[in-house]
Amino acid sequence: MSADTPHTKLNEEKAREQLIDLAAEFYDQFEHGDIPEMTLPTRTKSNIVFDEEAGVWVYGDRTSTRSANSVRGARKLLKAVYAVEFLAQQLDEDRSSTLRELYYLSESWDSEEAQFTSQDESNQLIEDLEIVSGVTREDFHMRPEESGAKVMGPLRLREQTRRGDRDIHCQEDVGQGGYQIPNNPDTIEFLDNDAEFVLCVETGGMRDRLVENGFDVDYDSIVVHLGGQPARATRRLTKRLHDELDLPVVVFCDGDPWSYRIYGSVAYGSIKSAHLSEYLATPEAEYVGIRPQDIVDYDLPTDPLADSDVNALESELEDPRFQTDFWEEQIELQLDIGKKAEQQALAAQGLDFVTDTYLPERLEEMGVL
Amino acid sequence: MTSFQSQLGEDQGIADELAEGQREISIAEFFEKNKHMLGFDSGARGLVTAVKEAVDNALDACEEAGIRPDIYVEIREVGDYYRLIVEDNGPGITKEQLPKVFGKLLYGSRFHAREQSRGQQGIGISAAVLYSQLTSGKPAKITSRPKGEADAQYFELIIDTDTNEPEIKAERTTSWDRTHGTRIEVEMEANMRARQQLHDYIKHTAVVNPHARLELREPGLDEPLKFERGTDQLPAETKEIRPHPHGVELGTLIKMVEATESYSVSGFLQEEFTRVGKKTADKVIDNFRDRHFGRELGWSADGEAVAEAVAAAVSNKGADATDFFASEVASTLGGRERTSHHELVEIVDEVAAAAEDEHGTRFGATVRDNAVEAAWATMTAYDEDADEDELTDDLYGLVDEATSTRKDDAVVAGMAQRLARRFAAGDDRMRATHSDLSTLVDEAADDTEEFDDATFGDTARENVVEALWSRMVTVADDVPKVRETAADRDTASELLEAMRETDILAPPTDCLAPITAELVEAGLRKEFDADFYAAATRDAEVHGGDPFIVEAGIAYGGELEDGGQVDLLRFANRVPLVYQRGACATTDVVKRIGWRNYGLDQPGGSGMPNGPAVIMIHVASTNVPFTSESKDALANIPAIEDEIELAVREAARELKSYLNKRRSMQKRREKQDVLGRILPEMADKVSEVTGRERPNIDAALARIMNNVGVEREREGDTVRLVVENHSDRTENPDVTDIVSVEPADVPEEATVVDLDGEWFVKWNPSVPGGEEATLEYTVAGDADFDVNVDGIETEKLTVNA
Repeated sequence: MSADTPHTKLNEEKAREQLIDLAAEFYDQFEHGDIPEMTLPTRTKSNIVFDEEAGVWVYGDRTSTRSANSVRGARKLLKAVYAVEFLAQQLDEDRSSTLRELYYLSESWDSEEAQFTSQDESNQLIEDLEIVSGVTREDFHMRPEESGAKVMGPLRLREQTRRGDRDIHCQEDVGQGGYQIPNNPDTIEFLDNDAEFVLCVETGGMRDRLVENGFDVDYDSIVVHLGGQPARATRRLTKRLHDELDLPVVVFCDGDPWSYRIYGSVAYGSIKSAHLSEYLATPEAEYVGIRPQDIVDYDLPTDPLADSDVNALESELEDPRFQTDFWEEQIELQLDIGKKAEQQALAAQGLDFVTDTYLPERLEEMGVL
Repeated sequence: MTSFQSQLGEDQGIADELAEGQREISIAEFFEKNKHMLGFDSGARGLVTAVKEAVDNALDACEEAGIRPDIYVEIREVGDYYRLIVEDNGPGITKEQLPKVFGKLLYGSRFHAREQSRGQQGIGISAAVLYSQLTSGKPAKITSRPKGEADAQYFELIIDTDTNEPEIKAERTTSWDRTHGTRIEVEMEANMRARQQLHDYIKHTAVVNPHARLELREPGLDEPLKFERGTDQLPAETKEIRPHPHGVELGTLIKMVEATESYSVSGFLQEEFTRVGKKTADKVIDNFRDRHFGRELGWSADGEAVAEAVAAAVSNKGADATDFFASEVASTLGGRERTSHHELVEIVDEVAAAAEDEHGTRFGATVRDNAVEAAWATMTAYDEDADEDELTDDLYGLVDEATSTRKDDAVVAGMAQRLARRFAAGDDRMRATHSDLSTLVDEAADDTEEFDDATFGDTARENVVEALWSRMVTVADDVPKVRETAADRDTASELLEAMRETDILAPPTDCLAPITAELVEAGLRKEFDADFYAAATRDAEVHGGDPFIVEAGIAYGGELEDGGQVDLLRFANRVPLVYQRGACATTDVVKRIGWRNYGLDQPGGSGMPNGPAVIMIHVASTNVPFTSESKDALANIPAIEDEIELAVREAARELKSYLNKRRSMQKRREKQDVLGRILPEMADKVSEVTGRERPNIDAALARIMNNVGVEREREGDTVRLVVENHSDRTENPDVTDIVSVEPADVPEEATVVDLDGEWFVKWNPSVPGGEEATLEYTVAGDADFDVNVDGIETEKLTVNA
């Protein structure tokens, strides 16, 4: 294929090898009369540790074992072997498929025991395979159903598409919606840019407000729409913008515990994909707001904290990723005032307040402007 | 219904007129009209009951004589009637006794005996005779040859229902091929609709009497039903025992007291009851005293005041002697915490005797009485007007100790005062029975509540009563003699209470002959083809003075019928209970046990459990409490029900662990099935993906299942059998390798047997958990092998050899 570069080709070859190695490991276990098993790091909050060198959170030493010792474990391993065969074949043929397609595809496998019973199961298995093989999902040619995230800003890039390379300027060559991030952002090459910083925005409404008010133009910022919990591609692109273009990254979310987690996954990596933190997380990303402090300072319209919000805040206090002075102070303040505010609450002081006053003030404070 | 009561205003002569119609009813006549009470309510049932009575008698007779029972039962159709023949090899019955045994109701050897036996009242067999004569009009034909006699006696007899006496229709000496035994032949109107119950009765009798041989012939059977002996061991011989003090009722006690030849109650108790010796009798007597006389409460004494009072009460004894006497009494009392009236009497007596020795002055009864009176008056002085009160202080201490610390001091003081007032007003010697005391405390407490505006609850009251009662002492008065006790119902009742109150050893159990858990299981094994058997025998317990033992057994699985309720077999004194299952205490107990806990299905969590199981319950007692004379159902006696429950639960626990094990084996089989499907598929797939040959998964599978794997390796002429134990405990498999060629170099631990050109290599390695053992030998050239492994559950075994 014309789109293939030596770099991605190498990854694919490595991915294929790693998968076959995994099957060979099972083979050897059988031959030695051992019980086939697969050891994975335990994926819970209590088993993530800070990697000083990379500055991100990764899995700790605790592991759990999927073993053929039980019927459940044996089924999982059987499914893993079937999935390995499928992925190896997909790589051979240079095809790709979505996670959902994998789930339906298992219906056609000859062993009924190997078929997936839910999509969660197949998603989890792909994550397992990523971890044991050290190869990312993207290199297996597995993609999520949709990514949805968009970029707007003074940036020119080149994307390898199946229909050839395209050069795109993320302000001039795109519509109001911005540039759509592809599933595998490693197919993008940055050409040039006039950007000062990257602003990641949680909600679509706020992104549209910033674009309408011309914030990206006025402040030379690349506005990245996160759209709730950001997809891997979005996080990967953000990291590349930071690492390769040396741009500061700031995150702008609602002022509630769920939004802090969105920031957390951009900056520190998520618990589910801690094995990819080094590849996905941008530890230097900073949090703009809405901070509980802002609720007080700007006297924003608020909602009271629900019980689930309080629980989430308390659990964040125990989350190793949030054990910094900034977060402890802010979370305790929020528990104290018992309130939360949306990004849109800033509109209470006028539609231009966010672009004319709030963001410039905050960014100046943070030393970004 | 006719009223026999004369009514006012009616003719004067009516009572006389009615009196003419009133006459004694013979017991035989009574039962003639109330056949159902004895189990003869229908033709079908009558036949079963008759068989049952005759067989029970036969078994009892044999066992008593130490003979292994051999019983033959035959039912024949004779015209419109059925003829029942029951023959045994018992000791026989003497010519003199025979007519009465069969021809008189309520004649028997067992009614008065406290000993386990099947029959008790002496009604059963004569009722069968009565029933046959009533329905067929024919006499019973009885042959009996007592052991050691040359000839047998033959009788034909009926019961005269007017007099309840046997009427002999024919009598002769005859010869009989049995060396001893009894045969009864009766004809009765009957039918075979209760065939199932009849068979059940015989079969169940065989279960609980594994020492007996039984045979049944009846018209519906092509082949006679034969039940062979399961054991030669006769049930333990039973001994008759006297009644137990905890088991008599007032009426019985009065009768016994009237009949006894003993003079003293102590003698009576030791003579007439089991488990009562001198010590126990004394305990009973003390309790009897407490009830009859009450106890005395003692009081503290002020030495000086007592000395003064006693000295004043003694006159003309000389200053020295008086002084000695008074001061001795005073110091003895002063040294005691409290002294009751009769203790005071004793002390005064002792001191008086000492004073007589010391001073040679006589201190006679009058002086002593005066001294006692003076001292007692000082100790218990109480006069509200004169502000004299020696009692309240003593009581205050006791009340304070008995009540909780939260009680106000004023309330305690008030209570003590009110008690003192009541004691002062009561008996001079401060005597009270427990119930008197309770009343007294209650009144005082009520007043305290009313006037002191305090609460004085039941617990506090009880505590006060107990504190006082425990300080009060049993008096030394002589208890009433047997004659006085017999004459006064209240006194007898006090004695009975005292007997019940006293802790007395449980009655001896040699009057009982339990089947024993071992034989219960053997009996079940003999008659039911099941996968699992369990049995439990409880220790003897007492109900109403009659010791009893409960045994239970459970059989499960195998050929037992599934798909419905479990079968409940009920036995009392080794007799199967066939009718009235629903009214039986055993049924109630089985229904209220939560069988789901024990692994049996129980719809709704109560009621009869379902499943392929037989539950048997045996109650052995000197007096089995039945709900009626037909002896079909056990009465609901809590003490017996509790024991039944414990026995059944004990056996059920074994069932549970068996079922759990079975279930875990089943799970293991299921797991092995599923893994046996998944792992080969996985092996196929990994070989496909890696492009290598299919791996051998047996060892992995054996390890997963914690199994014991047996593998054969062959290298040239060398054969190796490897036993790999993947479980966590030591396994001892019996490995037999059948080889078509003679093996050589077989190590010592294995043996080789040559059987018609096949060689059996036998090997019993002991392989600890997680380890392996290897047997190595050689065969020359080609050979066929066939390995057989025993001693390990098939679910846990993987053979690949």
